[in-house]
Amino acid sequence: MALLAKKKGQPPATSGAARAADRSALFDERFLRTLEHLHMVSRKMFAGNLRAERRTRKVGSGIEFADHRTYARGDDFRYIDWNLYGRLDRLLLRLFEEEEDLHIYILLDCSDSMAIGNPPKMHYAMKVAAALSYVGLANLDRVALLPFSDHVLGRLPPSRGKNRIFRVFDFLRTVDIGGTTGIAEAMKTFVSQHKRRGLAVLISDFYDPAGFEEGINTLRYNKFEPFVLQVYDLKEASPNLHGDLSLVDCETGELREVTVSKALLEAYTREHERYCKQIEDFCTARAVPFFRTHTTIPFDELVLQIFRSGGFLR
Amino acid sequence: MTWLGPIPASTVALVAAIAAVLTVVAYIIKMRRRRFEVPFSSLWKRVLEQRDANALWKQLKRWLSLAFLLGIIGLVLVAALGPTLGARDPDARSVVILIDASASMKAQDGDPARKAFTRMDRAKERAKDLIDSMGGGDLAMVIRVDGQATPLSRFEGDKPMLRKIVNGMQASDTPADLPRALSAAADALRGRQRPLAVIISDGAYSEPQLTQVAWGTAPEAEPGTSTGTGMGTGTGRDLATVDMKGIDVKYMGVGSRSENVGIVAFNVRRYIANKAAYEVFIEVQNFGTEPARRQLALYNGETAIEVKSIELAPGQRTREIYRQLPGGESTLRASLRPGEGAGAGNSDPFPLDDQAWALLPARKTHSVLMVTRENLYLEGALLVYEDLGYEWVTPEQYDAAPAEVIKNPVTGRLYDTVIFDDVTPAVVPPPPVNLIYFHPTGEHSPFVSRGEVPRPRITETDDDHPVMRWIQLSDVNFDKSEVFVPDRTKGDVALAYYVRDPIIAARREHSRKIVAFGFSLAGTDLMLRVAFPLLLVNSLDWFAGDDADLLTTYTTGRRFRIPLDGLVDVHEVTVIDPAGKKVKAPVADGKATFYGTRVGVHQIIAYDPEEPAPVAGSPDRREPIAAFELAANLGSTTESRIAPAEELTLGGKTLEEPDAFAVSARRELWIYVVLAVLLLLAVEWITYHRRITV
Repeated sequence: MALLAKKKGQPPATSGAARAADRSALFDERFLRTLEHLHMVSRKMFAGNLRAERRTRKVGSGIEFADHRTYARGDDFRYIDWNLYGRLDRLLLRLFEEEEDLHIYILLDCSDSMAIGNPPKMHYAMKVAAALSYVGLANLDRVALLPFSDHVLGRLPPSRGKNRIFRVFDFLRTVDIGGTTGIAEAMKTFVSQHKRRGLAVLISDFYDPAGFEEGINTLRYNKFEPFVLQVYDLKEASPNLHGDLSLVDCETGELREVTVSKALLEAYTREHERYCKQIEDFCTARAVPFFRTHTTIPFDELVLQIFRSGGFLR
Repeated sequence: MTWLGPIPASTVALVAAIAAVLTVVAYIIKMRRRRFEVPFSSLWKRVLEQRDANALWKQLKRWLSLAFLLGIIGLVLVAALGPTLGARDPDARSVVILIDASASMKAQDGDPARKAFTRMDRAKERAKDLIDSMGGGDLAMVIRVDGQATPLSRFEGDKPMLRKIVNGMQASDTPADLPRALSAAADALRGRQRPLAVIISDGAYSEPQLTQVAWGTAPEAEPGTSTGTGMGTGTGRDLATVDMKGIDVKYMGVGSRSENVGIVAFNVRRYIANKAAYEVFIEVQNFGTEPARRQLALYNGETAIEVKSIELAPGQRTREIYRQLPGGESTLRASLRPGEGAGAGNSDPFPLDDQAWALLPARKTHSVLMVTRENLYLEGALLVYEDLGYEWVTPEQYDAAPAEVIKNPVTGRLYDTVIFDDVTPAVVPPPPVNLIYFHPTGEHSPFVSRGEVPRPRITETDDDHPVMRWIQLSDVNFDKSEVFVPDRTKGDVALAYYVRDPIIAARREHSRKIVAFGFSLAGTDLMLRVAFPLLLVNSLDWFAGDDADLLTTYTTGRRFRIPLDGLVDVHEVTVIDPAGKKVKAPVADGKATFYGTRVGVHQIIAYDPEEPAPVAGSPDRREPIAAFELAANLGSTTESRIAPAEELTLGGKTLEEPDAFAVSARRELWIYVVLAVLLLLAVEWITYHRRITV
């Protein structure tokens, strides 16, 4: 939880929304150099120089074996695995991963809760989004950006090539932000507008009163490959609160009077951890890559961690 | 358990009720909370829902916190009541410590080994030893004994506080009034457990004071039924006798030497015939047991005008009169210094009576302007006055330029007095010029006239007024006279009457004085009488504040009644004692009254009653309308006789020294209650800040 007034008796500081609105210094020259470095590192980690280097799970006519499946009438005889037929006496079809230029959709939560934190979580999320976009663009994938709250706030159409990164920067600097978190509704809108499947990187704090499950499932059910990245601020997890307070929800304005004691704080921290674990368990159970990070971890470190895990680059 | 606190139970109950109500209200009033923005209140909601299961315990904790505070308030009030355990200890005593702070206690023989260590210092040491030896249940009260009896504390068991009170005591310059102090002690001890009075003194009391005590001839008063006076009530006994029945009285002596030569009387007066000169009277006595030599010096201001060696046998009293002394400053001082040679008789441990002061009314040259048509009788009468210079102008000259003629052409200053002879001008000189009118008439007369009376005779005079002193006017003839109507609200006084008609009147207008004669000098044979120049001289002396009968020397330890020379409408004056301490003194019947405690020259200052007094703490910028001086001396043979009494016999009973107090077991509980309060406060603080009771 972010404390807008850190000291006792001090009035709340400038609101998170106001701080998050100032994005002019977010993408500077240094940031660009960091992105280039990340790209170089990604290339070393995953050597390959093909057009559309990233392969989808779509089974098609590639050369890389992917799986077997039972033969069905109408299938191409050329792909029947005769060796297996000899051993198992069953007709099984060899499947290959199809190589294509992948679509990467970066879905960025820009609701009011993302404006909380110092620096705001939204800035951190935008940097991560920009980094992933850069790597995707550099790998000649088609990258699209879609900020959302309880609806899709804007759209940067899919584009390819490193030089497009400046459009990404401009888009992230100028996109409207704010609103309540509604992942499910936003994802429904997204899938209905994008028929071309691909990797859907969902970056959010997942503070959705309606729950996060439906949003992720919407992506899964519509053949997108969800990639979940949860961003939070450390002070959200372990707030430094004390005494009699009126807690105001930054999105709904809901007021809750509470006397914060040490026991209550511990209970809250446990509850926050349980909530995060719930998201992680949900994703793990469904083979959805999941990352959780807080804003004190440098974004480039996070991106490298994502690369190493192989969830984003293959 | 008993309660020794000074606060009445009803007051404590009221305070307790108010504090409890305020505390409960403070708990009921909803506090204003700080606002904080959180990103996801649903998490808090879930946590709070889990905690709501403990809501009953939460409420209970809040009530627990309230109970803590109410308990703290209750304990504080209990502590304020001064609870004690075992206060009715049969060994505990109630003690009144009577510390002699009279003038003789300034004798510097408290301890022969320590220089300038006074009897007062020694008495304070002995009093503190006595206090230190008090047991837990003993209670003591300190009474200061000088010309008055002043209780300095109530009955206390707090030794540091009693020691502080004793430390702050100083001896005064007054004789002691032992019966008054004993009476106060008897009143305080009446009805108390094991009453004891301890007199710490040098025993320098007069015989009548020592015999003014009775030991039980009066009916015994029941506890708690004290008459409040402490005086005896037995029939046939002196009402002033102090009844000490049932009270154990002890004596602790201080002092070691008896040699002292002191000035017992000192006064000065002007000669009536020659006011420029004066004579001084000094009386000196040797109170020691050895012959003594002294140098007696008389100072006018800082100038020694007479120095004389005197030798005195033990107990001898000598009188010195210095005649025909010339004028000078108004303050006279007599001083005794030890004479040459060694010997006990030539040292003096009691310096207070070695100095004495007297004041001589100041003389000044009087300048007079006469507005007259050359009255040789008037001019001739003024020649009687020695320090006087006069001029005269005609009424026409005066009317032409009144502002100019009232200035003395020689000095350039205003005349001190202007005499209007058969003329009543419209414009009169401003204060402080004094005025004498002969036959004032019309609307400009200083006194309202009721009309003329033919051939009056003086039937009555105010002999107490300085103007009429030594004047006989009963055989003086007048052809006619104005009859005045003195306005007493303005301070007018009638000085001479024809039957009931005032024909001579006087007034004091703050800084100036006016005398008016209703008759004309041309229509009376007064100028041929000896009374006429005397009348003028008296008037001018009154104007100058020069009063041959004015007593300026007083003795300390008495209530001074100082005449304020015709000051009217003044209800209060400021008295500045020799140490510079200012006190207010009320004025009644034209006299300021205050109790004199210091030897030396006092100043009495009167301010215009119409002028508001300055706010406390700010300097007094008011101009005094009158200022007087008086001298106060010890003048007490009882106090100068400093021989300490090893034993003191009161009412035929010789007093013994007190033993140390028996230690009794009474315990005061308030400290434990306060500790409990502190403990509760600490628990409350910890539980609040650890969020246990919130």
